[in-house]
Amino acid sequence: MSQSEGIQLNQVTKSYSRGGETLRVLDALDLTMEAGRFYALMGPSGSGKTTLLNLIGALDQADSGEVVVAGDNLARLSRGELSDWRAANVGFVFQGFNLIPVLSALENVTLPLALTSVPKKERRERAEYALSLVGLGDRLGHRPSQLSGGQEQRCAIARAIVTDPTVLLADEPTGDLDRDSADQVLELLSRLNQDLGKTILMVTHDPHAAESAQRIVRLDKGRLLGIEERDPAGAES
Amino acid sequence: MDLLRIVWRNLARHKVRTFLTVGSLVVAFFLLCTLRTLVTTIQSGADAASASRLIVQSAVSLFVDLPQSYQTKIQGVEGIQEISKWQWFGGYYQNERNRFAQFAVDPAQTMSIYPEMEIIEGSQEEFERSQRGVLVGEELVKKYGWKLGDTVPILPELFPHPDGPGVAWEFEVAGIYRPTARNFDASMFLFQWDYFEETIKAGSGEAPGVGTYVLALEEGADPTAVMGSVDALFENGPQRVQATSESEFQKQFVSMFGNVPFFVGAIGGGVLIAILLAVVNTMLMAGREQTRDIGILKALGFTDGDAVKLLAWQSMLISLLGAGLGLGLAMVTQEGIAGALGSMFPGYRVTPSTFALGAVLAVALGLFAGIAPAWRAARLNTVDALAGKD
Repeated sequence: MSQSEGIQLNQVTKSYSRGGETLRVLDALDLTMEAGRFYALMGPSGSGKTTLLNLIGALDQADSGEVVVAGDNLARLSRGELSDWRAANVGFVFQGFNLIPVLSALENVTLPLALTSVPKKERRERAEYALSLVGLGDRLGHRPSQLSGGQEQRCAIARAIVTDPTVLLADEPTGDLDRDSADQVLELLSRLNQDLGKTILMVTHDPHAAESAQRIVRLDKGRLLGIEERDPAGAES
Repeated sequence: MDLLRIVWRNLARHKVRTFLTVGSLVVAFFLLCTLRTLVTTIQSGADAASASRLIVQSAVSLFVDLPQSYQTKIQGVEGIQEISKWQWFGGYYQNERNRFAQFAVDPAQTMSIYPEMEIIEGSQEEFERSQRGVLVGEELVKKYGWKLGDTVPILPELFPHPDGPGVAWEFEVAGIYRPTARNFDASMFLFQWDYFEETIKAGSGEAPGVGTYVLALEEGADPTAVMGSVDALFENGPQRVQATSESEFQKQFVSMFGNVPFFVGAIGGGVLIAILLAVVNTMLMAGREQTRDIGILKALGFTDGDAVKLLAWQSMLISLLGAGLGLGLAMVTQEGIAGALGSMFPGYRVTPSTFALGAVLAVALGLFAGIAPAWRAARLNTVDALAGKD
């Protein structure tokens, strides 16, 4: 993997206005993450973890600095181009699953493919394959309300990978799950990283969940505290 | 296609709310369509009038009769081909709710003046020959189930029967006509002037007056010149007359309704505005409920334009569904309404222009109701939307 396919943040600053006060959430953050690695992003509440994830996923834009993901400088893209970029490059997994409640598991997973050039006939096959990868091959027609929390999260992961994005961004993906379901989801993310080479960035408060990652990025008050190497195999060469 | 699926499923998400919103639209568009049809029906009488027919009435009022002696004088005016006496009878059949237009007429002349009446059962000869013969419109036949040869008793209100109050005049169905022109009244009851006059004379000893004279002009005759000549005949009395074109005469009836068309239009407009507000409210609620879904779609890579489509299509679908059903209801009930209205609104029929207006209003309503939620959806910040916040 070349460095340009990874994630690069240079002097990134992001502030929010709340109740008339300006709150600096990320403060001149410099961070480099290699492509094909599984990162856990940890830190206390308010340290800027989710904000960082949103900037990398082009859901939000930095006030200043550069966010370069998979070779694209996101600050140079228009709102419409960012939508296209998200569809092509990023898969999201949220704590609250965020499936469309009126669609079945299969329809939810097929949805991102509507934004690609994948032929219609092939979309269903791809979505079925993604669902079978996460162990939901027998739940295609179930609505989110008919799935357990763990199944919903696995369905969300299937939706995140169906377009074969380079980066998977997971925001507390095990936060709403029991231990068994959480372990299944973490194992699934590890497999996606190891078998398919996906770059994964997972925000978590849970040290047990962070153990699944190869590296742990620690933030506090919008600044990088350090990157902890957990897996020597993932070390920079 | 995927967005349309979400649109459709979202409508089914709150079945009761969607049903009630669509139901209110059905009622509103049915009312709009029906009210407008009443107005167009009132106006269509004048539109259907023939340019080759004139009406002569008293210059004082339509309710003042003219002497029968005028007929010969008027007939002598150059340019007049045919003339018939007409008198409004004003009775009812069996009970007071069964009212329709009954006229005493000169049968042969009337048939000549009104070629729009095609006799589909019986014959003109029978109508002319039979003393109590009556020519009835096919709408009356449908409504009351009359057949040729049936005796039809009509209870009088203006011209009592000489045998005493409460005694019905009896007529015999000699012919049934069908209008060949769209707005021609298909529920008239035309009977022999001679029978009318003889019966009146038997009671009071006096010949009845004439409500109006209906004239047919010769081909190429100048209506204005004929009207001027007829008016001039009786300028010095004993009873001055007013000759008008049939169109002008019909417009008198429209003006008798006063501001009814405006009033009806105002009610229709009010109904539309009330429903618009209800649909806007429904769509705003739907938009807020779908905030997170819009955030999800945007996170997946769908654009602001897709978010607009999601809400705008829902609004449009509700509006078109409600309007379509409402207009359809107006269409399938028009026969029944026409029957219930009888001769009050002859030729009641929903016109293509009313349907077109309904369709335009439905699209406008759908667009207008969808603007606010669609605009909000487009402007939603993805991160806030995912958190369910505005």
